[in-house]
Amino acid sequence: MVLEWLIPIVIIVVIALIVVYYLNKIVVLSNRIDNALAQIDVQLKKRADLVPNLVETVKGYAKHEKGIMEAAMKARENMLKAGNVQERMKAGTALAAALRSVFAIAENYPQLKASENFKLLQEQLEGIENKIAYSRQFYNDSVLSFNNTITTIPGAWFASIFGRNKPKDFLTIEEKEKKPVKVEF
Amino acid sequence: MEKVNIYDQIEKNKRNSILLGLIVFIVLFALVYLISQIFVPELAFIILIFSFLLIVVDIYVSYNYGDQIVLKSVNAKPADEIKNRYFVDTVEGLAIAAGISKPKIYIMESKDINAFACGKDPKHASICITTGALENLKRDEIEGVIGHEMSHIKNYDVRFATLIAVLVGLAAIVSFMFLRSLRFGSFRNEDERRGGGFILIMIIVAIALAIFAPLVTRIVQAAVSRRREFLADASGAELTRYPDGLANALEKIKKINEGKMNVSEAVSHLFISDPNRSPLDNLFATHPPLEERIKILRAM
Repeated sequence: MVLEWLIPIVIIVVIALIVVYYLNKIVVLSNRIDNALAQIDVQLKKRADLVPNLVETVKGYAKHEKGIMEAAMKARENMLKAGNVQERMKAGTALAAALRSVFAIAENYPQLKASENFKLLQEQLEGIENKIAYSRQFYNDSVLSFNNTITTIPGAWFASIFGRNKPKDFLTIEEKEKKPVKVEF
Repeated sequence: MEKVNIYDQIEKNKRNSILLGLIVFIVLFALVYLISQIFVPELAFIILIFSFLLIVVDIYVSYNYGDQIVLKSVNAKPADEIKNRYFVDTVEGLAIAAGISKPKIYIMESKDINAFACGKDPKHASICITTGALENLKRDEIEGVIGHEMSHIKNYDVRFATLIAVLVGLAAIVSFMFLRSLRFGSFRNEDERRGGGFILIMIIVAIALAIFAPLVTRIVQAAVSRRREFLADASGAELTRYPDGLANALEKIKKINEGKMNVSEAVSHLFISDPNRSPLDNLFATHPPLEERIKILRAM
């Protein structure tokens, strides 16, 4: 007699646990994607913070290259003005290109190239560029595990019940971005 | 080779850590009980209560401060952010790629190329690399080595490994102390000759425990860490997306390392390549052969 109502209760509890598990999993994985995006943003901002310092340093050695400096500062402003992370990433591409030309100047100014401050900035920039790449990789990894969860059974069933069955987009690298920042040692 | 899922591995590591704590607790407690029964049966109860408290404190300290103990024992110093910029940046970058918080970064003095990670969980982890590694390895090779260590942290290998390091060291000390005390104590026993047979059996059991405890932990230490190294190689390569970096680093390790680093046996399984090579390597090797690891990485 006890069994008669115990079995349905056990079944209900097990189903409830499974539902909670998958709901939580989907939420956690989706939060991880947001966090990954925030990580990219942090690194993009760090790169922007590097620009004034870099321009100051280069100015000291190469006064005639005003155009390139202004372009770099302008690209930085554009990036900081951007409303959301997606736009900021786009503006970041332009900034990376501007920074490349700033570093290219150094080829014509041996003193600048030899300066400790400039070398340090180069190292810092390389570190940040790598971190941007790593954070994009983490973003894509997070998207992959989210998409895998909501497109494979049984995750797909729960995802459609909770209305979160839309796969997220991966970040792709734009053509001009593929060329790495050239930093020499 | 059997396929291991990372998330299963994490669960397994957490479970093993608890199991290890329990086993150490029981073995130490049994040892203390036997010792007190043999030498001072009239005080056995009080000694048991004291030792209970001590063992609990000891396991608590091993869990929470194990990383500090390990780092101190190999004389690791915090890395200089300016001087070791690339190393620090790469650790930070790979922590981002692994989605964990940035570990503390240390450097230890040694000519050998080596590195290890320790800590109780990804939030309280440390990475340490030798000066020899920073001098001999190229950047993508350093990246490969850090990727390997980062996945140890992410997989909770570090919790289990750090616990083993501290507790293996402890088991060795306790059994050493017991075997020493037996030498002095046995004279007194011969004089008193109380209930001969029972005491004799207990002495034999205690000696067996004292000898086997460190031996068993060594074999466990070896068996457990060999499989983890393969897994960490693979998931490290997944982080850097460049298995050849680690493979090249391992090749340099094979060529340059002398295998005579001045570190305790108790922490040897933490390192990316065995810091002490010995003739007993086949039985107690804490690491799979480098050739095999390189072959697998090259095939990825």
